[in-house]
Amino acid sequence: MSIPAGLKYTKEHEWVRIEGDIATFGVSDHAQEALGDIVFVELPEIGRKVDAAEAYAVVESVKAVSDIYAPVAGEIIEVNETLEGEPEKVNTEPYGAGWIAKVKISGHSDELMSDDEYTTFLEE
Amino acid sequence: MRFLPHTDSDRTTMLESMGMDAMSDLFTDIPSEFHIKEGSLNLPDALSEAAIVRKFTQASEQNRHAGNTRCFLGGGTYHHFVPAVVDYIISRGEFLTAYTPYQPEISQGTLQTLFEFQTMIARLTGMDVSNASMYEAATATAEAALMARRITRKSKVVMAGSVNPRYRSVTQNYLSRLEGEYIEVPMGNKQDGFGTDLSKVIAAIDEATACVMVQYPDFYGSVYDLAELRVACDAAKCLMVIVFSDATAFALIRSPGECGADIAVGSGQSLGIPMGFGGPHLGLFTCKQKYVRQMPGRVCGMTSDADGKRGFVLTLSTREQHIRREKATSNICSNQGLMCTAAATYMTLMGDEGLKAVAQRSAAGLHKLISSLPASVSAAQGAHFHETVLSFSSQATRDLFLQEARKRDIFAGIPLEQLNDAVEHKHLLVTTTEMIEAADIQDYIAALEVAV
Amino acid sequence: MSVDDTLNTYSAVGGIQHEEPLLFEHAHEAAEAISLPGVQGDISAELKAFSRKKSANIPGLSEPETVRHFVRMSQWNHGIETGFYPLGSCTMKYNPRVNEQVVRLSGLANIHPDQPVDSVQGVLALLHELQTWLCEIAGFSDVTLQPAAGAHGELVGLMMIRSCLDARGQQHRKKVLVPDSAHGTNPASAALCGMHCVELKSGADGRIDLEELKKHLDDDVAALMMTNPNTAGAFESDIKEICQLVHDAGGLVYGDGANLNALVGVARPGDMGIDCLHINVHKTFSTPHGGGGPGAGPVVVNDTLAPYLPVPRIVKAGDLYRIETHDEQSCGTILGSIGQVGVLLRAHAYIAAFGANYLHKIAQDAVLNANYVLHRLKDAYHVPFEGLCKHECLLTDEYQNKHGVKTLDVAKQLIDLGFHPMTIYFPLIVHGAMLIEPTETESKTTLDSFCDAMLEIAAQCEAGDTQVLHDAPVKPIRRRLDETQAARKPRLVW
Repeated sequence: MSIPAGLKYTKEHEWVRIEGDIATFGVSDHAQEALGDIVFVELPEIGRKVDAAEAYAVVESVKAVSDIYAPVAGEIIEVNETLEGEPEKVNTEPYGAGWIAKVKISGHSDELMSDDEYTTFLEE
Repeated sequence: MRFLPHTDSDRTTMLESMGMDAMSDLFTDIPSEFHIKEGSLNLPDALSEAAIVRKFTQASEQNRHAGNTRCFLGGGTYHHFVPAVVDYIISRGEFLTAYTPYQPEISQGTLQTLFEFQTMIARLTGMDVSNASMYEAATATAEAALMARRITRKSKVVMAGSVNPRYRSVTQNYLSRLEGEYIEVPMGNKQDGFGTDLSKVIAAIDEATACVMVQYPDFYGSVYDLAELRVACDAAKCLMVIVFSDATAFALIRSPGECGADIAVGSGQSLGIPMGFGGPHLGLFTCKQKYVRQMPGRVCGMTSDADGKRGFVLTLSTREQHIRREKATSNICSNQGLMCTAAATYMTLMGDEGLKAVAQRSAAGLHKLISSLPASVSAAQGAHFHETVLSFSSQATRDLFLQEARKRDIFAGIPLEQLNDAVEHKHLLVTTTEMIEAADIQDYIAALEVAV
Repeated sequence: MSVDDTLNTYSAVGGIQHEEPLLFEHAHEAAEAISLPGVQGDISAELKAFSRKKSANIPGLSEPETVRHFVRMSQWNHGIETGFYPLGSCTMKYNPRVNEQVVRLSGLANIHPDQPVDSVQGVLALLHELQTWLCEIAGFSDVTLQPAAGAHGELVGLMMIRSCLDARGQQHRKKVLVPDSAHGTNPASAALCGMHCVELKSGADGRIDLEELKKHLDDDVAALMMTNPNTAGAFESDIKEICQLVHDAGGLVYGDGANLNALVGVARPGDMGIDCLHINVHKTFSTPHGGGGPGAGPVVVNDTLAPYLPVPRIVKAGDLYRIETHDEQSCGTILGSIGQVGVLLRAHAYIAAFGANYLHKIAQDAVLNANYVLHRLKDAYHVPFEGLCKHECLLTDEYQNKHGVKTLDVAKQLIDLGFHPMTIYFPLIVHGAMLIEPTETESKTTLDSFCDAMLEIAAQCEAGDTQVLHDAPVKPIRRRLDETQAARKPRLVW
């Protein structure tokens, strides 16, 4: 189970990489494994404003559908269009080519966990 | 009882193996106050097979039907020719008595047939994709409105008044418990109003509009150019939904895809399915590829098996209720599978040329009928496929004609007010298919000449 | 074929099956078109202006090729006529052939729905009689035959409940209680009626927990939707109290009649306090499933909901039958026709064949068969809820899991042994569900063969001989199919 340092995590198993006022969102290795083979990612529209913990994307596997929640509030400025043709990138590279969206941050969340905290959270 | 294999001794053996004495031991979990006495229901006693055949035969003989009359009725249900092979194929137990193909390894017959059906429907309608069918056209129309609302995230639905009144009332009813506006655009009821006035429809579109729904050919059989509407839909970023009632039309005239539809839905009853007093028929649902994940209903997709051989499965099931629950694309969890098999068989037998001949002869029949009308009866203006509205000088004249026609075993048309109570009681919706011969039209005109 | 296969007593798949290409791969020019009747004249000049530009490219095979193609397709299917089909919750019973014969009579099959009413009295009489029979069998006062399927009936039931509550000035009631064992269509139907579902956790016995129910009964409750017997195959013995509690709270009770086969002729849902119930005639009254439809889902209602039935309705006035199309109180129009008439007529013929004197035998033999299967399998497979079952029994893969074998493997091995699998992974309230519904039209010999096969699979697990289970099926024309590939890059047309 990979949990890279330097990223923040949520209890819903999303990760966020914060660089200045830009945040990149994705789902954790644990999440992709629990979801199984991902077949479709419904990406948000560019320009949409999302609150922290608001569902901004939907990930589908063959037998399940999951809402994906925003770790922090912001405006969607970029989405990973690669996923339209290759949703399996979420399975193979959840922290890399499987990223989902980038936002311009408009607020921070106290709920985020460090990699160590997330590791502990998963063990519980 | 001939459908129950157990003998009484089988039943006793089975009960004894479970330590039970009587059938009633199996029902002790139902409170005794709800038990009813065996045989106490107020129903007739069992009929033998011969008695059932006699009863149904007698009932059927009380009906007039397209087999012993000349049927000029349409309005969404059509008397087309059904080749014997179609009924043979759908009578085969392996198609007839199978369930939904949830175990694909032993359902490849149903699944490949569905894939062929989807392909042929997409080609006939000129659309990118088709689902594996809906109940029938009216509910398919309602589902198309719901789909357009999901795609556009807007809620207003604009419905042309020239769409089949039954499709309209079901759609209106489906939308009535949800937020959002539903507008029907009246087309007027002057004689020339039996058609689609696109300028009125376009005037009803605004920024909040999710989709515009038009029937093509419309309820009155009128065929018209949709280019203007496509432009208006693009400008308002709303979807253009084309509804149709006889899919064979598109072997002859411009298809919904060629007209630029985003979603096209309608009836496939004409594709090898008898009229059956209203059902079971076949609802068709097609759309552009980019909307496929918002399409309701079952779909069959191509894949491969563990040995790499081509095979088929039901797919995109995450759209369905058992996974998405209240967010599902529809509450429908079945299709008209056997009717898809009928339509696939029919289209295969017909091919392009046969389908075109069906449509051509249906239209030629109407053209011949209209050209032979006496002067006091008029038909609606403009291009018509295989149905139109005939207008009489008065209700009395029309009704006299209907009587004269009945004397000749002709069902001459549907009094329009039965379906659309806004119109004067002097119009008839008349339809011809390839089942109407030149001699039938002569008789029709002869009855007219007596009446008017 | 291995030696074992020749010795076993049950039927196996794998008769002669031919590979068959898609229609579109039959590589030759279109055959001569079928000869047609009709007017061979010109179409109007106006219509010509709208001619289709590009050919639709529908293949067009000759009649012999068409027949062979679709007969081969049929041979890749398993149907009730082929073999045992114990699909829980689906009631796959024998479909009498006489029903197929009578609905094809021209005077029933070739009627236009808008013919004058005096020309359709025969079919209206049959449908009207079916209406009275369904009310009598289920214990209700009125019915609509219109709904095209069970899920459609469910939607119509909720629409009527909505209309009734609105008429009572109770517009605010929008909460629909649904047990967690319910069919998945419930929440989707509620959403279409502007209502929302709240899930009730089942009790330890898989039934509705009265205390849990009471917690949710407040002024917002519109309805409880329940299936009885429930989807675990158990009868909700507290049914009377459940209905009373919901009614006292101002709500109505919707019954999902998917499982009516357990009660027909033995007990009536209407007597128990349920306000309306859809009847899947393709289950209880044996209309063929056709590979996914058509079905029909008439909804029976008590006096409370009768005013809100959809239109059109078939009514009898003196000696004549009429079709009523307008009613102010009605919940509206829900289908473009009077119903799936051909399906309804088959149901009529089925009920007629049993009549008052045999109808109860349907439920009796169905419940006997399910309990017999449960009894024979209960040591080899985990039974999550003890006690009598009704027309279907629920097992899980708990014992087999220890050997790395899952419900899916059991199901696929059954295919190689010649049986259609049971319903798997439903209901969701147990892990690895196997829901077995034998129906009343199976003989003891068939049930024993099936149980022997299930026991053999359990024994293979115990013996550690599990690879064959993971590899199954190997006998049908195709092996396990890749659903991930199909969903990732949907290919829906050729």
